[in-house]
Amino acid sequence: MSAVASPAASAISPSNPLYRSRKRVNVFMLSVSGLALVFGLFWLVWILGTLFYEGGYALTRAALYFEMTPPPGADGGLANAIAGSAVLIAVATLLGTPVGVLTGTYLAEYGKRGWIAPATRFINDVLLSAPSIVIGLFVYSVYVARVKHFSGWAGALALALIVIPVVVRTSDDMLKLVPNSLREAAAALGCPTWKMILSVTYPAARTGIVTGILLAVARISGETAPLLFTALNNQFWSLNLNEPMANLPTVIFQFAMSPYKDWHRLAWGGAALITLTVLALNILARSLFRRKD
Amino acid sequence: MEAYEPVARPVVQVMRPSARAETPPVEELRPKISVRNLNFYYGAFRALRDISLDIPEKKVTAFIGPSGCGKSTLLRTLNRLYSLYPDQRAEGEVILDGENILTTKQDVSLIRAKVGMVFQKPTPFPMSIFDNIAFGVRLFEHLSRREMEERVEWALTRAALWAEVRRKLHQSGNSLSGGQQQRLCIARCIAIRPEVLLLDEPCSALDPISTARIEELIHELKSEYTVVIVTHNMQQAARVSDYTAYMYLGELIEYGPTDAVFIKPKRKETEDYITGRFG
Repeated sequence: MSAVASPAASAISPSNPLYRSRKRVNVFMLSVSGLALVFGLFWLVWILGTLFYEGGYALTRAALYFEMTPPPGADGGLANAIAGSAVLIAVATLLGTPVGVLTGTYLAEYGKRGWIAPATRFINDVLLSAPSIVIGLFVYSVYVARVKHFSGWAGALALALIVIPVVVRTSDDMLKLVPNSLREAAAALGCPTWKMILSVTYPAARTGIVTGILLAVARISGETAPLLFTALNNQFWSLNLNEPMANLPTVIFQFAMSPYKDWHRLAWGGAALITLTVLALNILARSLFRRKD
Repeated sequence: MEAYEPVARPVVQVMRPSARAETPPVEELRPKISVRNLNFYYGAFRALRDISLDIPEKKVTAFIGPSGCGKSTLLRTLNRLYSLYPDQRAEGEVILDGENILTTKQDVSLIRAKVGMVFQKPTPFPMSIFDNIAFGVRLFEHLSRREMEERVEWALTRAALWAEVRRKLHQSGNSLSGGQQQRLCIARCIAIRPEVLLLDEPCSALDPISTARIEELIHELKSEYTVVIVTHNMQQAARVSDYTAYMYLGELIEYGPTDAVFIKPKRKETEDYITGRFG
């Protein structure tokens, strides 16, 4: 035994200065983070409040859902824009999801050696944070400018380019959360990798991947910039993807910039509608994710 | 194709340690797996050093040793599971039925089907109990629904789990308790009828009752399978194995019949470890 003396008395008491200063720091930090929370929520509540105050009435009118976008001064709704948005989003999701999920699968399951996977992951992260107007301009220059007209396809393509990086990222992350022990267990049975991915890791990561897709859909529901350069807009009912296509964000943009009161009301209604849809998608994504646990 | 026998009687039975009394030296038995001058690397780290040993057919061989001594690593070379990871590599020979599996052109899936493995933590797949068993079987056999049901029942019976799950075969494998999940994994492994069973600390997450059941199961299985078990628990090694290998820092220190290793170890290091005087 060494000859070090035991400490004289216990330091553990409520009057201990170290303990008291720690408590003060705690109170201070807690207040600061509480204030930050209030600050953030304040704006959010204000935005939502304004949106539903201005757009709430338009939302309750059936005309919003069944009539076409009107000329100034006439009565009308957003039916063509709602349908156009639905088509654009559906096509973009159908185009982007398989590419995104397959890329994510490559990154998480196959990209263990070499530089391709890390490089892809990096580029994907850049794409993920690329301003959407850049995507719009890109599709404009490589597609719209060549065929010389705006079209639904171009809009769907631009939105798909936004979907892909989101889905790649979430699929990659969710597949990486699947414990390696499951992969080893499947391999130890003599299971080839592709079969292991289909039967074991996809089911294990399913809710996460679906959540990622829903969040990507929510993300593109409100995108305006890429559609301005691609799908443009359409006054009339059209589901032809080879023509310019009406869509909610562009209509909101156009109507909100106009001097007409009734167009303003429709724009508010459209904005509230998109917000509600995105909210619903987020709640769906969350409840899916929760059911897993 | 060899027939398998559906076993309906309970697996619980009395163990007979005396049956080991006439265990012959390893050299006199037909080896199922021969390891020769095996070196193993995790990146630059050398985890196994010149391991050579023969694993006799239809016997239970235990690898014991302190944490990090390489016993799990050695186990994972026997079915080439390490080759899932790009920075792990093995040098030397692991000869299974006359073929070096480290260099063979044979598909690694076939080797792994022949050499089944059960892990430390239970790893039920995210599917029903039935499908957990059927999954592996379907990889190599086309069975009718009826035959598949029989196979599942047979495997679950052998793993002493049938009575507990027969009414809920279509519930998720994750709904079972830890001990049941581990027996499910053993059933899944024997359902494809491998020739070798690798058990990597199969009981470390289990309570004593589940452990006893699995040990009884191991005892039963060795009539048909070559079993290799890694364990931290020396009593377990003494109870279930015919041969024991003591490893330390990546080297094989002593290998021989379990009774000899435990009662009269040849090397002082082995004795120190077994008697708890280690370190």
